[in-house]
Amino acid sequence: MNILEKLKNLDRRIIYLLVFLSIIIPLIPGFDFLKFPVSASKETKAIFDEIEALKEGDAVHIDFAFTPTQKAELLPFFEAFYKHCLIKKLKVFIYYGASVNGMGLGKETVKKIMNMEEFRNLEEGVDYIHMDYIPIMPNIQIFSMVSDYKGTFKKEGKIFEGVETLEDIDFMLGLTGSGWHQAFIDMQIRFHYKFALAVTAVLGPDFIPYYQTGQLVGLSNGLRGAAEYEKLVSEKYKVDYYGSATKGLSSLTFSHLVIFGLVLIGNIVYFIERKKGGK
Amino acid sequence: MDVYKRLVVNTLIKKDNDKMKKEIPILLGLIAASLWYLEFFFAGMFFDNLKIFFSNGLKIGGVVGIMIAAYSVVRQNYYKIKYNNERYYSILRVSMIILMIFLGVQRGTAAGTPFSSMFFNVYIPFQATVFALLAFYIASAAYRSFKAKSLESAVLLIASVFVMLSKITLGEAMWDKIPVIGEWIMDAPSSAGRRAIIFGGYLGMITMMIRIFFGLERSHLSE
Repeated sequence: MNILEKLKNLDRRIIYLLVFLSIIIPLIPGFDFLKFPVSASKETKAIFDEIEALKEGDAVHIDFAFTPTQKAELLPFFEAFYKHCLIKKLKVFIYYGASVNGMGLGKETVKKIMNMEEFRNLEEGVDYIHMDYIPIMPNIQIFSMVSDYKGTFKKEGKIFEGVETLEDIDFMLGLTGSGWHQAFIDMQIRFHYKFALAVTAVLGPDFIPYYQTGQLVGLSNGLRGAAEYEKLVSEKYKVDYYGSATKGLSSLTFSHLVIFGLVLIGNIVYFIERKKGGK
Repeated sequence: MDVYKRLVVNTLIKKDNDKMKKEIPILLGLIAASLWYLEFFFAGMFFDNLKIFFSNGLKIGGVVGIMIAAYSVVRQNYYKIKYNNERYYSILRVSMIILMIFLGVQRGTAAGTPFSSMFFNVYIPFQATVFALLAFYIASAAYRSFKAKSLESAVLLIASVFVMLSKITLGEAMWDKIPVIGEWIMDAPSSAGRRAIIFGGYLGMITMMIRIFFGLERSHLSE
C-alpha cells in the first residue's frame, strides 16, 4: 500500500488521537508558550461597554439558559460577566430559563464567585438574586416578573425595589446554546430593554443579523468571546479574572489547526488521485 | 369559521363526544390566542391580572407535561425491559431515575447532598463529554468529505478556512488581514443568507399561526 492509499484510508483512530493531542497538550503546565494574544471583537466589546455605561444600582437580568452540555463554552463568559456586574455594583437577577439542569450549575458557580474575597460582603436578595426555573415558555417570563415557582418574587429582598416589570431592567444578557432567546429579541419592542447574547460558536452566525440591526447590543461568540471578555475585565480593573476560556483558547487554536491540516491533506490526496484518473 | 359552527352543533345539539375531543381544544386555542394578543396590545389598560392567570396556567400545564413525560419514560422502558434484547440500557436508565428521585426525596437537593454530588460529579461530566465527542467526529468527517469537488464546494472550502483561521488567535498572528476577511464573510454573504432564512421562517410561522387560529391546522391535535 503506497502512502497515497494509506492517507486515503487513514484510520479514524489516528485522527482522534491527533485531535486529542491538539486539545490536551496546550493545557499541560509548561506549554504556556503556545498561547497567543487575543484581541476583543467589536461584538464582545459592545457588551463590555454597555455594562461600563451603567450606574451603581442599575438592574441587570441574566438568562442562564444553557445546560452542562455547553458548559465549556458559556460558563467562562457567565463568570466574567457576573464578576464585571458585581464590580460595577449592579443589581443582578439570574433566571434559569431553558432548563432545570442549568440551575444547579449556575447556582454552584455563583456560590463559588460569592466566596471570593472581594465579593464576600455582597448579599443575596440585595445585590443579586436567583430567580430559579419556571417550566414554561420564555414569553410569559418576559411579560412580567410576577412569580417564580415558589411564588415569592418581590418578597425575597430589597433587590426588587424599583423593579416591577422587565421595562425596569437596564440590561439583559442571555446565555444559550439554542434558539431560546428568539422570543426575547421579539419582545424588545414591548419592554425596550437592551439585550445582548452569549452563544456557542456554532450559533454565532444565526444571531449576527440581529446584531447588525441593533436588536442585539452585543454578541459573544463561543469560547473566544468568553476569553475576550475575561481579558477586557482583567485589563480594565487590574485583576486576574483570566479563567478557563483564556486557558482553553490555545486548545481551540491547535484543534482548529489540526482540522485545517486534515482538510488540506484530504484535498491534496483527492487532487492527486483525480490527476491519476482515479475516483 | 366553519369549525366553530360545527363545534356548537356537535357539542350543544348532537352531543357528539368524539368530535368534541378535537373541537373543544380548538376553541380553547382560539380563546387563549385571542386573550394573549389582546393582553399584548392592551397591557395596563384592561388586562392587569391576565398575565398572572397565564403565568399560573402555564406553570400548571408545565407540571402536567412533566408528569406525562415521566409516565411515558417509565412505560417505554417497561416494554423495552420486557421484550427487547438490549434491555440492560433500559434497566440502567430506570434505575438511575429511581436512584435520583430517592436521593432527592431522602436528603434534598441542596449543595453537599448525595443528589448534588451525583449531579455535579456524574451528570455534568457525562453531558459535557457527549457534546465534546462532536469535535472528534467533525475532524474525521471533515477529512473524508470536505473536498473541493466542484466550484461551489471550493468556494465553501476557502470561505470556511478563512472563517476558521479568523476565529483562532494564531490566524491573526499569521496575517493581520485574516480576521478582516473572516469577519467580512460572516457579516456579508453568510449574514445575507441567514436573513433570507429568517424571513422565510417567519413567513411560514405567521401562516401556521393563522391556520391554527382559525382551526384549519390540526396536526397538533394528532389529526
